[in-house]
Amino acid sequence: MSRGFGLGRPGPRASAGVVWAVFRARLKIITRYKGAVFLESIIPVIFAGLPILLGAAVAGGEQNAANNFFAYTGTTGRTAADFRLYMLMGSNTFMVVTLMLWLIGYWVRREQETGTLEALYLTPAKRFHVLAGVTSYTFIRALIAFLVATVLGALLFNVNPLEGNFLAAVAYLVLGIPALWGISFFFGALVMRIKEANSVIQLLQWVLAFAMGVYFPVTVFPFLLRVVAMGFPPTLMNDAIRSTLLGIASIYGPWYVVLGLMLIAAWLVPLLGYEFFGWTERRVKRDQGVGQF
Amino acid sequence: MARKTLLEYSRYPVAFGALFAQIFLIILLFVLTTVAFAGGDQRTISRFAGAMGYGFVVNIILSFTLWEIGFSIREEQVRGTLESLYLSPANKFSNLVSRIFAVLSITVLMCLGGLAVVSAVAGGLPVNNVGLGLLALLLTTSGFLGLGFVFAGITIKLKETAQILVNGLQFFFMIFCAMFYPFLALPSFVVDDISRWIPISYCVDLFRQTLLGQQPELGVSYAVEWVIVLAFGIVSPLVGYWIYHRIERKARTDGTLGEY
Amino acid sequence: MAEPIIRAEGLSKTFLSKERKKGEKKRKKEVHALKSVDLEVLDGEVFGLLGPNGAGKTTLIKILTTLLLPTGGSAWVNGYSITKEEDEVRASIGCMLMGDRGLYWKLTGRENLDYFGALYHVPRPDRAKQIEHLIALLKLDDFIDRTVETYSSGQRMIVAFAKSLVNDAPILFLDEPTVTMDVPTARELRRIVKDLNDHGKTILYTTHLMHEAEELCDRVAIIDHGEIIALGTPRELKDSLGHEDVVSLEGIFPDATVSRLRAVPGVLEVAVSAEDDGRSKLDVMVENSRAMLPRIIEAVTGQGSTVEEIRPKEITLEDVFVAKTGRTLAVDTRVVGEKAVRGRGG
Repeated sequence: MSRGFGLGRPGPRASAGVVWAVFRARLKIITRYKGAVFLESIIPVIFAGLPILLGAAVAGGEQNAANNFFAYTGTTGRTAADFRLYMLMGSNTFMVVTLMLWLIGYWVRREQETGTLEALYLTPAKRFHVLAGVTSYTFIRALIAFLVATVLGALLFNVNPLEGNFLAAVAYLVLGIPALWGISFFFGALVMRIKEANSVIQLLQWVLAFAMGVYFPVTVFPFLLRVVAMGFPPTLMNDAIRSTLLGIASIYGPWYVVLGLMLIAAWLVPLLGYEFFGWTERRVKRDQGVGQF
Repeated sequence: MARKTLLEYSRYPVAFGALFAQIFLIILLFVLTTVAFAGGDQRTISRFAGAMGYGFVVNIILSFTLWEIGFSIREEQVRGTLESLYLSPANKFSNLVSRIFAVLSITVLMCLGGLAVVSAVAGGLPVNNVGLGLLALLLTTSGFLGLGFVFAGITIKLKETAQILVNGLQFFFMIFCAMFYPFLALPSFVVDDISRWIPISYCVDLFRQTLLGQQPELGVSYAVEWVIVLAFGIVSPLVGYWIYHRIERKARTDGTLGEY
Repeated sequence: MAEPIIRAEGLSKTFLSKERKKGEKKRKKEVHALKSVDLEVLDGEVFGLLGPNGAGKTTLIKILTTLLLPTGGSAWVNGYSITKEEDEVRASIGCMLMGDRGLYWKLTGRENLDYFGALYHVPRPDRAKQIEHLIALLKLDDFIDRTVETYSSGQRMIVAFAKSLVNDAPILFLDEPTVTMDVPTARELRRIVKDLNDHGKTILYTTHLMHEAEELCDRVAIIDHGEIIALGTPRELKDSLGHEDVVSLEGIFPDATVSRLRAVPGVLEVAVSAEDDGRSKLDVMVENSRAMLPRIIEAVTGQGSTVEEIRPKEITLEDVFVAKTGRTLAVDTRVVGEKAVRGRGG
């Protein structure tokens, strides 16, 4: 019965068109915010610099700091360079997690604030395709931030990530991102329902920083806290990247255990997150409508 | 207006709680890191945890001042209430300052709580010359007000880009004013060529070293540091407000006050 | 005879809101935004939804456009159920909501149109052509390639209107589209709306400006407090008041004037609009203005009244609203007397 251009049930080409349009629009928008992308490559370097400087001051030198750090945390690192790389990788991974939370988890709230969420929901584009566009965009942005921060950090802290298995570390990063999407969908759903979304996401990013062991492995936690922390996909990803790059033992066990866990998390977590997002969205539409915040 | 700000906070209990929890987590993160580096030396842990803790207090106050004054202007712009605010006969200065007074009380609570966490984890914190320390903090806060006014003015002018700018500036201060570690952690050329030229460095050093009962780290005497911090505390809010006022007048002339 | 292209049966919507009074606990309050609304919009007509702020117009639009789920009832748009075939409904409509902010500020107007065109599954070659057509139609050339953040509010509204046309849907929902436009732009938009209707589009147009409804709409539904209280062509609605006239008075009137007027036999209803300078406008509905004029003058003169102007007025849709509700469509009107029922049609 529909006349006009658009179709309620389009083919794969039109669906791919939606994904591409969302991806391209988000990319265009961020490039028009001067300095934003640059800042997210600088921030992990600064965050890595803080404990490095603190450690050197506390222990009276970087090598002492490295020795104390590795002895205390029960990891089998060696040199000051290993210690600096440890901090750098932790910070870079934390940056990726933060980006996911804000770009996906906060995406709905941002669209509400700018008034474009209703316009989006008025279109026949499937939520799945729109989210695919958003997640693709965050993937590229996170990858760029990670790689640029790694290069900058390597230059500033005089470390060489290529000495370790860098490609495998990046592969773990790529494999870990879908689980981050899932967590972000979950929190994006919560953000739709609560007023204070900004504060909750901010708190969450620090909870994740703590739980994923951005500055130290979670093995230093008491048993119960350690188990909970190890259940977080970001902790798994962080540990996989660091252990691969530094050649130290993973807290999860041999490499095939790590890989297996990451593969499971890569499909299970986004699936659960997406389902929760859809369920919450339906409730919001029933109550106040999606435009309210 | 202070009551309005507090009332707004009370209607967002989750935000309120989240803010407290966030502070504690950040502090815990750095204190545990300090413990990891100290090799079990309790005195070292206590001393550096103190340096980190007291520096963190200054960082929190800077953050809150910048964001509560400047960012709230941004929020008013986006919500469209900034022009209404300007149409009211309320004094613009008191409008800006009332925001920070309301929030300072919350900030003080957070700092005390944060220091309690540091003390608990690190097994104690050196606390000396509390009165002088508080005076240094008061002057520091006054100086930060000036920075907040400038940020508010920049926000009116640059809108969203201002936030990115201030984020960058915050990190700059965090590193070069040694808020999370002693100045001896920085390379000497960094301290000499950068840190010593920033008044905030003296604020951090004076407050921290007074409470730790140690000598200043920036190579000048206590007396000199007091003079610098006093001057910062008096001059900064005056200059900051003057800059804000000029930018705001220009925005009213150009008709861009309500734009966001 | 044209078939209904939009149909609503028993549509209702209840919101729960929190009431916060000083000294009391927060309470949940039910707000019945829509109460069992039945509606049919015929294919190819311009259907007006007229009512004051808070009447339920936007709620109805949001339900029909699938943004909001109803609490009860059903509706079909272009033959598709709003609850079971949402994607087909969205593909069948273009929509411009009240105070539409649905544009990305860091994108240009053209980029926004292209983006939303893609989300409406408009094929790329058709999209480009349609955007050029809209730019020419709405005269957007001067600013379409600037980012939206540089636009005036009128320019934003026009581009939002263009966005509602990008998929060339057969049905258009326009929720108070001229609310922030200046007079020439609003007039031009109404001309384009008429033109779109001439080319076969069905348009559901909400407004609280009765002259818009009279100018544009084939049929008008008057909505108040979530209910449709009158429905028909503008002519039918005005005729439904029988032979009633309105006598309009302007001046300074003490509060007691209104009750004195109401007490005059033959006066059907009185509505008051207050001005800021102490002056008021009274619309007095009567059966025969010529016969009633002396009695009205007698009721208002003296007692401290100052009558500046008095004239009989042609019946408007606003008068129909006054007759049905005892209030005017204006926001600052005081409610006068009871809701009118007094044996009139509609």
